Amino acid sequence: MKFTHTAMVAVPRAKVWAQVMDVPAAARCVPGVASVRPSGNGKYEGTLAVQVGPVRLVLDGDLAITARDENAGTAALRAEAKDSRVGGAIRATMSLALAEKGGETEIRIETDLAVMGRLGEFGQAVIKRKADQLMGDFAECLARQASAR
Amino acid sequence: MTFEYHEPRELGPALDLLARHGQDAHLIAGGTATVLLLRQGLLRPGHVIGLRRIESLGGIARTSDGGLRIGAMATHRAVERSPMARAYSPALTDAFASVATIRIRNQATVGGNLAHADPAQDPPPMLAAFGATVTARSSRGERTIPVADLAVDHFTTSLAGDEIITEVVLPPIVEGTRAAYLKFLPKTADDYATVSVAATLRLASDGTVAAASIFLGAVGPTPIRARRVEDALRGRARGDIGEAAALVGEEIDPVDDARGSSEYKRRMARVWTERTLAQLLR
Amino acid sequence: MSTHRLRFKLNGADRDLEVPADRLLIDLLREDCGATGTKLGCGIGVCGACSVLVDGELVSACLVPAVFVDATAIVTVEGLARDGALTPLQDSFIREGGFQCGICTPGQLIAATALLGEHPRPTRDEVRSWMMGNICRCTGYYGIERAIDRAAGAR
Repeated sequence: MKFTHTAMVAVPRAKVWAQVMDVPAAARCVPGVASVRPSGNGKYEGTLAVQVGPVRLVLDGDLAITARDENAGTAALRAEAKDSRVGGAIRATMSLALAEKGGETEIRIETDLAVMGRLGEFGQAVIKRKADQLMGDFAECLARQASAR
Repeated sequence: MTFEYHEPRELGPALDLLARHGQDAHLIAGGTATVLLLRQGLLRPGHVIGLRRIESLGGIARTSDGGLRIGAMATHRAVERSPMARAYSPALTDAFASVATIRIRNQATVGGNLAHADPAQDPPPMLAAFGATVTARSSRGERTIPVADLAVDHFTTSLAGDEIITEVVLPPIVEGTRAAYLKFLPKTADDYATVSVAATLRLASDGTVAAASIFLGAVGPTPIRARRVEDALRGRARGDIGEAAALVGEEIDPVDDARGSSEYKRRMARVWTERTLAQLLR
Repeated sequence: MSTHRLRFKLNGADRDLEVPADRLLIDLLREDCGATGTKLGCGIGVCGACSVLVDGELVSACLVPAVFVDATAIVTVEGLARDGALTPLQDSFIREGGFQCGICTPGQLIAATALLGEHPRPTRDEVRSWMMGNICRCTGYYGIERAIDRAAGAR
């Protein structure tokens, strides 16, 4: 499953870059994320809680920045997480691109998401919508934080 | 799945159990949805509260003002077979009769269907088009929620965690109102809809549309009201509906899945909206 | 896990047993009662192989919690024939070739029994819309349809 999310932030690119690369701080912008900490080798581990109606998922996993190019304003990230209670896992590769547009910065995140095990029972519609909500909230929060700094 | 099962005979004790156990409790009405969620391990409650013995949650009857009251525990098939529901509107019984198979309709309940909030279900758009409301009870009291406002996202309702749907109430139908429920099923007859359209429509004496209420199923995270189509129809004459139906594409948010691409569903939503309106204006 | 005492009738005989809260009717029948005529197919209420009658209503035994059948009367395929005498419907299934491998047949028979109970002389449309949820991979359905027509004529 692939999705693209974009958001405009009214601050210069360098500032947004610094903010996004501070993974524990940026992760706090994703609703449901708890306890993100570095685990060495550029990796971070953490927990994401997602609620779909009566179903509560707790995804435990890690996130790694696999490539970064500050000059180009691009980075690649990989996230893997599993819910051991329900039984299922997700694997996401994301590419981030920051572009300066008239003094503002466009944040563009392309995600390729694989959903495995019982989590797949929800069906694409639900998963896509949840991902949309999370990424939408994430981009909005980044924009808020960046403007406030 | 390991849980304590409770089967109270009155609503009061059921509300108390729900208030006491909060998020650790899950209600089971007919069970068609809940049994699957439990079996898949997606739902892991410590307490399951069965509603089947609570008699006050049953029954189907006309209300004194000419409306219809359907108890939350009435099965889909009970509505489908009810002469009172048919007298209210054959479109209502059609919508319930189009759900899955007879086996499912014998088990699945009206209240359970609404609380499950699967956007591809058949009854919610039709109930919403009739302006139906649900009564939600909790140990704190009772409130009325329009069916149109009940589902807020996939499998998510505006019900509080301690509330139980006790009944669905349909208001009296204004004289001259026509209603229809059409369901597009390109695969099998027992499938969920690729798109469904529920509509009520009333004509003025000059033959133009005086009022319309249109809800679509399976093309968004909840049933979706086609307000632009409704607005565009008002004052129009019969035979003048294609343009209005075309506006439906701007209101819906379908996703790609096994029942079609979002683009296909968008086109089919227009086609089936037009067909539904054509049937009502025939 | 709570356990629950269930008293119900299975094909006319009284049953009284204790089951855990998460027992399903299909397992109650097959495992606890030894009534293995009812088959488990898809397990999600779609295929109709586990069709049974609970208080006369056709349901999927794989979707019904066992605790729901306390104080009910259940009919499964074992309850159709009386003293070895097949019902007209069972006889028609044999005469018209209403089955091949047989795995769906208990469900087909129960579903068709419920159909003829409600519509003694069903139209073709009534037969097809009623039986639509009972899937058969072998017969192509014509034999099943003919068997139901024959049984309806014999009534």
